[in-house]
Amino acid sequence: MLKLIVRGIVANLGRLILTLIAVVLGVSAVSGSFILADSLRSVFNQISEDALAGIDAQVRPIPSDIASAFGGGGLPTFDESIVDELEALPEVDRAAGQVSAIERVYTVDAEGEIVRPAGPPVFANSWSGDSEVSAFTLVDGTPPSGQQIAIDQGQAQKGGFSIGEMVDVSLANGTIEQFELSGLIDFGEGGTGGAYFILMDLPTIQRATETTGLINSIDLAAAGDLSGDDLVDTVSPLLPDGLEAVPQDVLIEENQESFGQVIDIFGNILLGFAFVILFVSIFIIYNTFAILVGQRTRQLGLLRSIGASANQIRFMVLIEAVLIGLLASLIGLLGGIGVASLLKWVFSQGGNQFPEGPLEIQPRTIAVVFAVGLFVTVASALIPAFRAAKVAPLEAVRDGGRKERSASFRVVTGSIVLVPGLILFGLALAGSFESTRNTFVGLGVGGALIFIGVSMLSALFAGVVASGLGLPVQSIKGITGRLARDNASRNPQRTSATATALMIGLALITGVAILTASVIRNFDEILEDAIGSDLVLYQPPQGQPFSPALIEPLKALDEVETVSGYAAFRGAIDDDVFDLRAWDSDTGASVINMGLTDGTLESLGTDGIAVFDETATERGLSLGDSVTFEFEDGAFEDFEIRALYDNSQVVDGVSWLFDRAVASEHVATDTVLWIGVSLVGGDDPESAAFADAQAKVEAIVKDQPQIEVQNNSEFRQAQIDQLNQIQILIIGLLAMCIVVAFFGIVNTMVLSILERTREIGLLRAVGTTRSQLRTAIRWEAVIVSLFGSLLGVIMGIGLGWATVTAIPDSFLSFVAIPWGQIAIYLVIGALIGVVAALFPGARAARLNVLDAIAHE
Amino acid sequence: MTTVPPAPVVMDNAAAYAVNASKVYGAGDTAVHALRDVNVGFERGRFTAIMGPSGSGKSTLMHCMAGLDRLTGGETYIGDTAVSTLNDKQLTELRREKVGFIFQAFNLIPTLNARENITLPMDLGGRDYDNAWVDEVISTVGLADRVTHRPNELSGGQQQRVAVARALASRPAIVFGDEPTGNLDSRTSADILSFMRQAVDDLGQTIVMVTHDAVSASYAHRALFLADGRMVQELADPTPDKVYDTILNLES
Ligand SMILES: Nc1ncnc2c1ncn2[C@@H]1O[C@H](COP(=O)(O)OP(=O)(O)OP(=O)(O)O)[C@@H](O)[C@H]1O
Ligand SMILES: [Mg+2]
Repeated sequence: MLKLIVRGIVANLGRLILTLIAVVLGVSAVSGSFILADSLRSVFNQISEDALAGIDAQVRPIPSDIASAFGGGGLPTFDESIVDELEALPEVDRAAGQVSAIERVYTVDAEGEIVRPAGPPVFANSWSGDSEVSAFTLVDGTPPSGQQIAIDQGQAQKGGFSIGEMVDVSLANGTIEQFELSGLIDFGEGGTGGAYFILMDLPTIQRATETTGLINSIDLAAAGDLSGDDLVDTVSPLLPDGLEAVPQDVLIEENQESFGQVIDIFGNILLGFAFVILFVSIFIIYNTFAILVGQRTRQLGLLRSIGASANQIRFMVLIEAVLIGLLASLIGLLGGIGVASLLKWVFSQGGNQFPEGPLEIQPRTIAVVFAVGLFVTVASALIPAFRAAKVAPLEAVRDGGRKERSASFRVVTGSIVLVPGLILFGLALAGSFESTRNTFVGLGVGGALIFIGVSMLSALFAGVVASGLGLPVQSIKGITGRLARDNASRNPQRTSATATALMIGLALITGVAILTASVIRNFDEILEDAIGSDLVLYQPPQGQPFSPALIEPLKALDEVETVSGYAAFRGAIDDDVFDLRAWDSDTGASVINMGLTDGTLESLGTDGIAVFDETATERGLSLGDSVTFEFEDGAFEDFEIRALYDNSQVVDGVSWLFDRAVASEHVATDTVLWIGVSLVGGDDPESAAFADAQAKVEAIVKDQPQIEVQNNSEFRQAQIDQLNQIQILIIGLLAMCIVVAFFGIVNTMVLSILERTREIGLLRAVGTTRSQLRTAIRWEAVIVSLFGSLLGVIMGIGLGWATVTAIPDSFLSFVAIPWGQIAIYLVIGALIGVVAALFPGARAARLNVLDAIAHE
Repeated sequence: MTTVPPAPVVMDNAAAYAVNASKVYGAGDTAVHALRDVNVGFERGRFTAIMGPSGSGKSTLMHCMAGLDRLTGGETYIGDTAVSTLNDKQLTELRREKVGFIFQAFNLIPTLNARENITLPMDLGGRDYDNAWVDEVISTVGLADRVTHRPNELSGGQQQRVAVARALASRPAIVFGDEPTGNLDSRTSADILSFMRQAVDDLGQTIVMVTHDAVSASYAHRALFLADGRMVQELADPTPDKVYDTILNLES
């Protein structure tokens, strides 16, 4: 028996390699996701330890929910006077106040452009002296002091700066000053993860970030052998309210945890895509096994007729699957290293650098990969194995035992899978599953069932549709087209199984395209009627907060009618923390239009508030009622509701809107997200007057090159471009499905051609040229892939439409279908057929006529 | 009855001929000489049967003459064309236009119906063809009511008729058949053979056919005998009895 299996594998090696490729692709994606996430986690853990190595304890504000999103992490928050007190303690060897501000200070290159990475932020940090206590290591030059800066190497390279050179630095107050570049630094040992750092000594960085007298934290080094915990005990009683002391181990743990959370999210997203790819490859694996077993039915039937039991046949096929599964898992595990490296490279092209570090294969990864690889292969082999064993011996020997399932059987089984899938998907979309996690599970499982069901049902019409798609091919290409058309439609089950992978890939891609197109269209529409200002000043790419210092000089311009700053902060009602927004309420209404339903916006003052009407209804609030807010500085204040609005999308979906004076008062550092400017007579952005006014505004922001001045349509376009980038990333990851689908088509074509060897020999014998043969095979593949693409696009439109419709109108009110994009996907689908046919076509054309005719 | 092996032939009216045709499979000790200096010509408008024991080289000769395989020595000609000088593309065209070939079985493309199978070589060449002639061939082989059927809806005999019709439909210079009736019962086989003979007599077609059956051979104008890769005997107007005698003679 074993001998037979080994012989079988050896004899079918070429075909089994095809199965192997399909399994390896799916498994590699899974193992790659694990490997990448694990490696990142361990590198970041190491970085956390390195960075905090010299710090025995740290004094910092007690983390509060209110402050955590804005201010707290991004800007210094407490008074530095305490530092000297702590330094004076005998238990303290060193106390260093630290500043770490996000997106406040930038280097400026020779062209006057700020130097910044594509994705990650720019930090402005204090240099705390010797590098044992510091998270930073000096790799070249000297530490910065006075009018000097030290920056990371990535930034130096991008800006073209070298040590000793004078560098323009844009400061938070809107001026550009020259600093000497004194040194180059690294964060920990592992690089900065793509972020840029600008380091100055403490007083200078405070001046640069407009946070004089304020710090984020105090790093403490203990005197003598004092432990971190003892140091904390000593220091804690001396700290004012709102500050706490934390020992090193807690800091490291917190750090690793917060990195870990980010990496978990990242890893889970990758894993999600990996399982989609795996799902797609299951169809390929199943199809390949089905064809292989089908082709060997005659041989298996012969075995049956000389006495092999049905169980033995099943056992044979399954053992074969197990062996392939094991081998594929092993290769897939190693392939995962390739996938992880590839992903690292892809992300680094997008401006995010991953820290250097070895790729890590954990035992968990090995276990999961082998479990998944084996399960997928064996499960795929199961149905064909049972079918093979059921074939009556003589039937198998006589006609290869190819028995088609009846149409009604297909309708029933297909519907049994499809209908629950649709119900589950629908329920998930309708939001019946409460938690986000359950909704995702519902969408995933429902979606998978829908795909499986449609795949099963598609065998019913694959023949007819393929034949229809082949019609134009036949009329253009004549007899070769005819052969292609016939071959594509002769085995509907196979055509549909082959096309399934492409269908799923394109359905997902089309769905995503529709979703993003709808988001963009809706968003654009909202922006279009929401933004009343003629010019928008903000800081790309993410609209980081910046100093409101620009507002006054802007107001002073003759060409400017109104100016309104728009700020974000946080506050709590009864311990529930909310995002809040604030603007200059006297002029704000001319800058954004949020659909006032009641009251007036101009009269908010410092004790009034505007509320989103749905939120007001939910909470039973109405005009004139009072709401108490707690702010990050610990203050409690009452606000009277003076206005209600119905367009919350304009204000980032936030329900509470204040005058900006309120925000300024309660946050440690006053910032704005953007500034809207209305020009005198600024209706026509094409006019000379407009251009002139825009130039004047630009002149005012000249020393803050990080801030963009954009007119209305430019601003909208910039927002849309960002959404488009996200779309490209998602579709890029989904494109892996298309790669798998591609191999699926190659597999089927190679196997089908093997099956038709004698036919091909005959065609050649009666005068088919090699190129005619290749043409026929090419068009056959194109018809199959076009069938899959069409089905995929149709399903994608359905899924995308359903999803967008299910999203509440307050987010997405109408569906946009990007027809042009979809047409391109169809063309790509067809091209995949062309490319997939190259290898099988070349193989077929190489066949020796007589050998082919003699082929069994 | 002549017992002299045919001399080297260069016939004016040969549809195809072979000069010193040799075919060796393998090399050294294991070399198999499938054909040894075979000289043979097939006159236009004649029906030739090729006989001989299993392994004597009959199929090899057919294949090489039809441009399906290459000789290791000598030359075969279709009309004036030396087959060995042709490249793959030209060989393909030769097969499509000048030669018809009938295999013992599996002659048809399963996805095409009978008529489409018959016109396949002409379709492949993108040639316009004489529909009336195709219809005539089809009705002569008795398939008029079966033209839209696919091969799996046809009996073995009907399938072979389609194969014969295809070989004839493009009016090739010569038709080769390798045991075209080898899988059929004697009734069906007789039908097909008389049709082939008719094609030769009435239409001037040239046909060469390998057969193991003396009765089948008797439909031909002439029977040639191969043994061990050599042309050993020729028989004009063979009858079953004459063929039996010759076979017995050769075996002794
Ligand atoms: N591809 C090949 N490789 C090696 N030897 C071959 C090959 N094809 C044929 N032969 C050998 O060449 C010789 C002639 O074979 P051929 O098929 O021409 O015989 P045949 O007369 O057609 O026999 P049959 O009546 O059994 O069909 C035989 O000895 C055969 O074994
Ligand atoms: Mg033979």
